[in-house]
Amino acid sequence: MRPDKPGEGPAVLLGEVRTGLLQHSVELPLSATDRLLGLRHGERVRSSQRPNVQAHSPDLLTGVDCALATGSHRSVRGVGTVTARAVLTEGRVLQASVRARLAAAEGAQRLPWSHYLARPGTVEVIGRAEAPALADGHLTAGPGATLDLGAIAERMLTGIQGGGGLDRRAPFRSRRIRLRWTAVRADLAGEAPGGRLTVEDDTLRTLRLTLDRIDPAEVTAFCEDLALHDWLLSTLGRLIERSGLGSDPGPGPVLKLRPAVNHLMHLWMPGARVARPLAPLWDGLETRPGFSRQWAAAVQRVRDHLALQAVGLHAQPVRKD
Amino acid sequence: MDTTFREVSADPRTASVPLSHLSLEIGHLYMDDFAAGPARLREQFARVKPWADAARAACTAPAGRRPRISTCFLIDDYFTRFSSPAEVVPQLIAEAEACGLTIDYLARESACAETDGCHPARLVESRLVESPPPGTNGSRPPTTATGWLSNGERSPGLDHLLAEAMGGDTGWRPPRETEARRHSVFLDVELWDEQHGRRTWSCPYLAAVWQLLRLGLLRDRGQEVLHPADRPETFPHSWDALPPLVRLNPHADPFAAYRTFSVLASRFLPIEHAVKIVLEQWAPEEPVLAQLAERAGQEGVPLPDDVIARVGYVFHGQP
Amino acid sequence: MLVFATSDKGGTGRSVTSANIAYRRALLGDDVCYLDFDFGSPTSAAVFDVPSALRGVDQAGLHSYLRGNVAEPKRVNVWSESDSASLRNRPSGSGQLVLVPGDRGGGEFVTGGDAVRRCTELFLRLEEEFDIILVDLSAGRSYAAEMVLEATSRPELAEVVTRWLVFHRWTRQHIIAASGLVYGDRGIMAAGAARGHDEDTLRDSVRFVRAAVPDPSSPMFTQLRPAQAAWLRACHEDLTRLASQHRLGQTLVLGTVPLDPVLQWQEQLITDDDVLASRVANTETAEAFAALAVALTHDRAWESPL
Repeated sequence: MRPDKPGEGPAVLLGEVRTGLLQHSVELPLSATDRLLGLRHGERVRSSQRPNVQAHSPDLLTGVDCALATGSHRSVRGVGTVTARAVLTEGRVLQASVRARLAAAEGAQRLPWSHYLARPGTVEVIGRAEAPALADGHLTAGPGATLDLGAIAERMLTGIQGGGGLDRRAPFRSRRIRLRWTAVRADLAGEAPGGRLTVEDDTLRTLRLTLDRIDPAEVTAFCEDLALHDWLLSTLGRLIERSGLGSDPGPGPVLKLRPAVNHLMHLWMPGARVARPLAPLWDGLETRPGFSRQWAAAVQRVRDHLALQAVGLHAQPVRKD
Repeated sequence: MDTTFREVSADPRTASVPLSHLSLEIGHLYMDDFAAGPARLREQFARVKPWADAARAACTAPAGRRPRISTCFLIDDYFTRFSSPAEVVPQLIAEAEACGLTIDYLARESACAETDGCHPARLVESRLVESPPPGTNGSRPPTTATGWLSNGERSPGLDHLLAEAMGGDTGWRPPRETEARRHSVFLDVELWDEQHGRRTWSCPYLAAVWQLLRLGLLRDRGQEVLHPADRPETFPHSWDALPPLVRLNPHADPFAAYRTFSVLASRFLPIEHAVKIVLEQWAPEEPVLAQLAERAGQEGVPLPDDVIARVGYVFHGQP
Repeated sequence: MLVFATSDKGGTGRSVTSANIAYRRALLGDDVCYLDFDFGSPTSAAVFDVPSALRGVDQAGLHSYLRGNVAEPKRVNVWSESDSASLRNRPSGSGQLVLVPGDRGGGEFVTGGDAVRRCTELFLRLEEEFDIILVDLSAGRSYAAEMVLEATSRPELAEVVTRWLVFHRWTRQHIIAASGLVYGDRGIMAAGAARGHDEDTLRDSVRFVRAAVPDPSSPMFTQLRPAQAAWLRACHEDLTRLASQHRLGQTLVLGTVPLDPVLQWQEQLITDDDVLASRVANTETAEAFAALAVALTHDRAWESPL
């Protein structure tokens, strides 16, 4: 890996976002998020109310010194810190977002720890490995001894969800969904800028970004936004499937869909917080597979059903005498 | 046409503090020293003086500029309370002057723990990021021992030995310093203890907080932590009535500085070794770090990235 | 909801019954997760018929997780990974059915503060996703039981509904042993109280399941001579009295599972196929499992008897 070029940001950024429903019966008001996300004494929770209500915890650092997967059997050593933060959207959807920028180490030895703390969020790579190989390694690594950003995210989510202040009476059951992502500078990847999103299984998606210039904060915000909307789409889909809509003619589906209407439907706002240079990535996903199209269809289906049920409940049966 | 939009709560500002080039510490005062009488004080200052002069000489400012150097002195009012400011402070100033030293700033040690609703010790604690032993990949939480911080891996505890017993791998393992060069100098630092629910910070831990305050690196929700108060007309009869940080010399350069230098008796060596272990695992706030780097760059002053490299000492022998 | 299944001794059919309860709840539409905490002898792979899904993952089960060797324990989706054809067709309207197995040959020993913390985190994590988390503990007093009592006493789990099912056979010795397991020295109540559980709440969260109960009206016993039948009835009455003396009375019984040879010889999930198509299993057994599954969340069954 080559050293960072000035003005182009890091060569490789690795990350993972885990998204889940806040375990609380109602939307958490903004005033209560300070306590929930105030994960570090003396640092402010960042919040904004436009275009939707979102709060960010301070960035927490975790020290690592371990092998980095390279997609082949060879691995290199990475030493440094990774950054983790929690994001709460509309007091309802909680995300833990972990990222690390990779940089080439200058020597072959680990340096005093204060060296790494002066470069927060950077993991220095000791040994020879190309940027695309490190990115691939992150996306394909199974559980093992290599860098595990997901475990850090998972601990953060569990810590917040179980940390008090929440009543743990969530309006419905839902899964946490993982988005594992990488961003590689286009000149190193030897590819044109773009993104590739893969649904690996029920709870895992991978995203591989190739960008002319990597701004860690902007790329992370984009991935958090994508993870949020993928979770919304998956979760609404599951609620509809489990509601029996389409098979159960009775009032069951309405009752089961109520939480979706109350808690999810207004959250859809793709790209609202995405920086301009990254906006084309969302546009691409809107074309294929068409996130908003699928969302709109699902929402319409729920609304139509609710409307029909309302008509059915109020209409008097017509009697033919 | 272009519009911009910003929410302050989404992008809060970080205050900057005035900075000297060097913060020169010319002593600590504990009850024992004071009880030994003014002669002991004078003897200590006399011993410090040549080293303080050397530190001044070594502090270089960019060509044609006067180096900004402030001196400071710390009084222990945290572990033991003795006498009163009205009695101690004038004596201190007089003895220092007699040796040709000026005390610019006087601080109370309890200010490192708590001051006016702000808890510097907690601020430091919340930013400790433990140095990971090799093999740490994030899958396990750091093996913290509550209230302790070490420079390596401890000997395995009972839980671990019991768990390992399942795998047939038993036996004691020595502790290991992570950055050891072949042989370890392992040190485990007690940061605090608790009795009846009340936490008492340890002396080396507060000494580390003191270093960070002098380095201008601490912020509380983006704001300055310890702002010096002007010298009162008369010194009060209780320590609590004395501001935590007093500017004794109205013409002093700023309290905080790019670098610190402390002249201490060699009996403080173990304490400062512990301070090093705390500082090496303390993660500075990025905006503060960037602020300082930018200003140093503008002034043409070299400033190392590593916090620990900004801290210097002389340890002198005792009579 | 967290449901802990335990028993005084082996041979109560605890694992197979609780697995069947999990299966029936999933059929009813709940998302169900079954945790094999029977660290001494993990059997759940056999009951759910998922041996091939577990091949080669000896190091990623619950033991490895609780010891901190892996960040998350292995999960097996029973609907898609079972070797049994009748399980692989997930019925429409059913919920998730997920097995979290123990390590094969994992041994009993997992203890210490870290294990309790990991256990608590696992429960919290699963409770977000599943309606019912059924935890199969080993028989008798065990580290696993102490660990979950410790975990559920923590404030993080204070808001989570917790229930205990105590399985025992319908004999003198088993009734006395089951009573001891709940109310005796180092029993669930004592161990729970020592960890800060509220005694009344904990007592109200315990129900008994009588296992392998002979049913005189079943076809198995139609050949009995009148004297034998009378003796059987008398025994049953004696046992009923004994149970109530030992605070295992009818108000605290969640259900009864009849004696069924199929369960004795092969521990497995009883699907409706097994009852209707192949007619291997008894209808009564399947009905007992279904009734237990319903009773698990039936408010009346969990009202305080006091």
